[in-house]
Amino acid sequence: MEVGQMQRRLVDYTKSLFMEGFLDAQFLQLQQLQDESNPDFVVEVVSLFFDDSEKLLNDLTMALDQPNVDFKKVDAHVHQLKGSSSSIGAQRVKNACIAFRSFCEEQNIDATLRCLQQVKQEYYLVKNKLETMLRLEQQIVAAGGSIPMIELGF
Amino acid sequence: RKRQLLTEIVLRNRLTALVVDADTTCRVLEQLLLRSYGVQTQGVDNGRDAVTLIASGVKFNLIIIDMILPILNGLEATRQIRDMGVHCKMLGVTACSGESERQAFLAAGVDVFIEKPLDPEHLVPILRELDG
Repeated sequence: MEVGQMQRRLVDYTKSLFMEGFLDAQFLQLQQLQDESNPDFVVEVVSLFFDDSEKLLNDLTMALDQPNVDFKKVDAHVHQLKGSSSSIGAQRVKNACIAFRSFCEEQNIDATLRCLQQVKQEYYLVKNKLETMLRLEQQIVAAGGSIPMIELGF
Repeated sequence: RKRQLLTEIVLRNRLTALVVDADTTCRVLEQLLLRSYGVQTQGVDNGRDAVTLIASGVKFNLIIIDMILPILNGLEATRQIRDMGVHCKMLGVTACSGESERQAFLAAGVDVFIEKPLDPEHLVPILRELDG
């Protein structure tokens, strides 16, 4: 595939992530922080997010698996995931966390278990999408092309 | 890539900032955002380390602090920092979004309450103000 085609494919794919709500404008902010002095910034931050999130999801699974669930602890984990997902622009994960927190407040075990599944689903979806997007970027760079900018006004 | 969307400002003075956030992703992002404006930053991941650092005499123009922190939470860390007589600008940057949480953080001593994510729209006017 020639570079121009790959670039168009990347632009279309990235735009679809915004249109489908996986990412919001905060992700564009992230891309703006990447420059010659930080050429791998987005990959590094996204990787940090993946590592942090998987640890949090494991902690949440364990916390909700206790005979006496400590909802304060559960809420603290969800709060942290809400913060990191909003900071990188993972909108659907963030929204799932908002719903999760309201059920933590109610101390509703069934609802919080369902929320955990929802958050996991959204997380693995966005992880998959971001990995695909970053792979497309790498292919373009390897072929000698540059990463096209995504315009906000789409 | 050029920075097209970040508001470009040039600071005349060298500003320093402390970022207090337990979440690595958030802390790294906030530090990098500050550094992109030329602010020198340090980061800690809990309230106790923040208080200890300030108590040791290190001065910052700006402290960005999350509400929920391990060991010593953000509210108590903020109170202790203010009780030391530290008057620098403090931003409470948190994933908490409720009015009661906002009031509590302001009452503890932060000057501004910002719901995450920290963005240039909130940060740039504050940096301009600090830069005089």
